[in-house]
Amino acid sequence: MSNVLRPYLAAVRSTLTAALTLENFASQVVERHNQPEVEVGKSKEVLLNPMIISRNENERVLIEPSVNSIRLSIKIKQADEIERILCKKFTRFMMQRAENFIVLRRKPVKGYDISFLITNTQTETMLKHKIVDFIIQFMEDVDREISEMKLSLNARARTVAESYLIAFNP
Amino acid sequence: MDVNFRKIDIDAYDEDVISEGELYEADPRDPGQVLEDAKAKAAAVRSSLSKGDMAGALGTILDSPPFGANVEDAKNLTLQTVVTVLNSTKSADIPNVVKSLTPEAQDTLMKYLYKGMAMPGWGDVSGSVLLGWHEKLTDVAGTGCIVRAMTDHRLV
Repeated sequence: MSNVLRPYLAAVRSTLTAALTLENFASQVVERHNQPEVEVGKSKEVLLNPMIISRNENERVLIEPSVNSIRLSIKIKQADEIERILCKKFTRFMMQRAENFIVLRRKPVKGYDISFLITNTQTETMLKHKIVDFIIQFMEDVDREISEMKLSLNARARTVAESYLIAFNP
Repeated sequence: MDVNFRKIDIDAYDEDVISEGELYEADPRDPGQVLEDAKAKAAAVRSSLSKGDMAGALGTILDSPPFGANVEDAKNLTLQTVVTVLNSTKSADIPNVVKSLTPEAQDTLMKYLYKGMAMPGWGDVSGSVLLGWHEKLTDVAGTGCIVRAMTDHRLV
């Protein structure tokens, strides 16, 4: 892990650990329903303050805690047009397979690229520190993945251009 | 048939519905008084900073911060002052400064760190400085400090 990224991920890790204190909480509005309160947003008293952790304007994480669920949204670094396209395709690929990732949300929150929704059922059936590790691992990998894809895309474009233009250079 | 009645939020008319103001106890001071206090503290912090007393400056500004509605000016002034103190502290001194704060001041500092991180590029807020402080503060005050900043509805 690079040294500049470390404090950012450490802050996300500690905030996520603090936020992941969930309990079973039935809806106060609809009888016999049990909904993630952060998504419903009907009872103000069970929603906690949303926290934003940012490295700069283009890279930030939004953590919205509530009594029985938390929502974590990531804005991935996108320096140029290619990274923007790659990031869009990558997150779309993941979100179409959201049920395989269990905690992944099918749509990102407005202004962010990808969102996770963790409910109390998931903290009960899975180990809390493993969930935190998964999110941190994802954040580490996604930057690397996108820059690798960008490199291979450029390399491939160069090869294609060379073999195409060789016809004009006898 | 008119179906617009379905869109009425009937829960808003419930007799025990909770409003934003009931989530915390309001500040007994009136907004003008709060702004005066914030200005006085900003001046006190400037004189402490010129003496190089970082812990004293931070302790002063984190004591009874403005919170709640209608005090936007005082909030901005206080955040500006906190950020100035944070930026002018050397990173080697941070652990000692954080340790010298009272637990209440540590919680308030945590709130300001998150508030600063929520608005990157505002004033001279710098993400890496705030992240450095966040890490040191979490080392000293633990996860409980973050939980208290998260659950306290008295937003700074």
